[in-house]
This record gives sequence, structure tokens and C-alpha cells, in this order.
Amino acid sequence: MPADPNMKILVVDDMSTMRRIIKNILKQLGFSNMDEAENGQEALQKLRADTFGFVVSDWNMPVMPGIEMLRAIRADEKLKHIPVLMVTAEAQKENLIQAIQAGVNNYIVKPFTAETMQEKINKIFNK
Amino acid sequence: MIARSPLNGLPASPLPAPNGDAAAPSETDLYAQLGVLARFIDTTIKTISQFHDPMSATTEQLPEAASHLKDLKRLTEEGAHQVMRLVETIQENHKNLTQTLIELAVNLPSPLDRAMLARLEQGLNALAGDDKRLTDIITALSFQDLVAQRVNKLVTIVDAVEHKLLELVVIFGPYTKGAGAAEASKATEMLKQLEASKTTAMNQDLADEILKQFGFN
Repeated sequence: MPADPNMKILVVDDMSTMRRIIKNILKQLGFSNMDEAENGQEALQKLRADTFGFVVSDWNMPVMPGIEMLRAIRADEKLKHIPVLMVTAEAQKENLIQAIQAGVNNYIVKPFTAETMQEKINKIFNK
Repeated sequence: MIARSPLNGLPASPLPAPNGDAAAPSETDLYAQLGVLARFIDTTIKTISQFHDPMSATTEQLPEAASHLKDLKRLTEEGAHQVMRLVETIQENHKNLTQTLIELAVNLPSPLDRAMLARLEQGLNALAGDDKRLTDIITALSFQDLVAQRVNKLVTIVDAVEHKLLELVVIFGPYTKGAGAAEASKATEMLKQLEASKTTAMNQDLADEILKQFGFN
């Protein structure tokens, strides 16, 4: 099933530049319903307060890193179904394995292109 | 002649060997040994004190260096946002222009002007190509995130080094602020220039305002 262009997407990154870049790419890909958070903790609050269909998150963030947020999402009965795409500069094999074990749906290494993001989103939602 | 220890040039122990082979040292030998030891300690203290001022200077400069690294991160972030603002404006204009061209193509009067239709299609293709380039510009700006992450790591390293240096300075002697001023030289000058640029740097609006006050239009 292709991704619903109306679904609400949460973009999580401590860098405002990166949040803007990801939102711009998502907009170019046809998504318009987006919100953002600066760290995992803020993201979890937003996820629990609203209905989101997709999360795009960084790994390295203060307060709560992306990997902890991912584990919290998967441990939460109401949130565990939400697909999570990690976009991160953490390009170590160990990091990717950790993310897979934590239940990530896909993983993008920075710097990346719009095509890569489209490809990953297609893979997540066309399963 | 005083016997030397094989280690560090220190005088050999004046005490008899445990197996009792050596004879007990005389009082004169003991004073001579103590004299050598005192000179050794004095030389060591002087050597260590030579490092005190450079270490103090470096310790004082590190917080400023960390502050400038943070400024670098902020400046690249502001620059990236400025470029994105401009690109987003162009993207919005392209979207409106594309819509207009599509409407023109759909509403072409009959009989169909094929040459006009081809030109409209050409325009739409050019816009689509530019949209792709604009998205590439946006994604290329992710360099700022990578720069920021490296700067954050550098700041952490600088903080750790500062902490360790401060520990050494405290261990080697009483820490006195400004003690290393004479040692700072080039690094201090560079830091001064960076510090000054924070308050003296101006944007074009301010420059134009000043030029205006001097009669430039």
C-alpha cells in the first residue's frame, strides 16, 4: 500500500537546518501534513498527544537520542505500529544493527539525496 | 666519588645492601648524597615551572576557542537557513508557474497550435528540471548538520583538554590567572581578532546606513 500523502509525519532532529531539509524533501514528495520535534523526549510527547503515521528521526540528539526514542515507541502499545525511518550520520555498522534490533523500518546515512528518501519511503510503505 | 643509581641519575642509596655486603655509609657520604638529591629536586622543579606559564596560557585560551567553534556552528546554520529561504521562494514560484503553464496548455484554442503546445511542454520540462536542481541544493545543505556534529565533538574535546590542563596547572603550582600572558603570542592575537569580529562585524544594512550618513546614496 503506497504512503498516504495526508498522513501526519513527525520530523525529529536537534538541528533546525536538518528538520527544514527533511520537511522540504517530504513536501516535494507530496506530503504536506508535518510536525517537528527537537529530541526524542519531545517527539514522544507529540506522538502520544496526536495521531502520526510516520516518524523520520535523527540518532544523535540531546535529552533523548533517536535510538532510545525508537525503543520507547516499540515498547508503547499505542505507538509501536508507527513506521520509523532513521536519518543519521552514525554510519557505523554497529549503529545500524542496534537500530534494526530496536525495530527501525529503514535507515538513511547523511548526507543523502531526495531520491534516497523517496526510495526508503516506498520500501517502508509498499511492503 | 658518589655512586650513581642506574635510574634517573639519582645517587645510589646510602643504606647498606640487605645482604650486608656494603659497609654502612659515613656521615659525610650521607650529606653528599643529600646534596645531590637536593640539586636533582631543584632542577626538576625548575624544569616543571618552565611548563607552568604555557599551560596556564593554553588553559585560559581554550574556553574562548570553544566559544568560537560554537559561533562557527551558528553562522553556518544561519547561512544554510538563508539559502533555504531563497530556494523555497523559488520553489513556490515554480509551482505557480507550472500550474499556469498547464492551464494554458489545457485551454489552448482549437484548432490546436502544436508549436505553441510544444513550447509550453518545453517550459514545463525546464521547470521540472530546475525543481530537481533546487531540491539538490536543499539536500546539499545537509553539510551544515555534519559540520555542526563535528563542531559539537570538537567542543567536547576542547572542554576535556581544558579540564586536564587545569588539573596539571594546579598540581604543578598555584594557578594564577594571566600568568601565561607572555606565552600566548600568536594564538592570543588570533583569539583577539576573532573576539573583535563578534562586535565589529557589520551587515550590509548597517554599512549602507553609515554610508548614507556620510553622503553616499
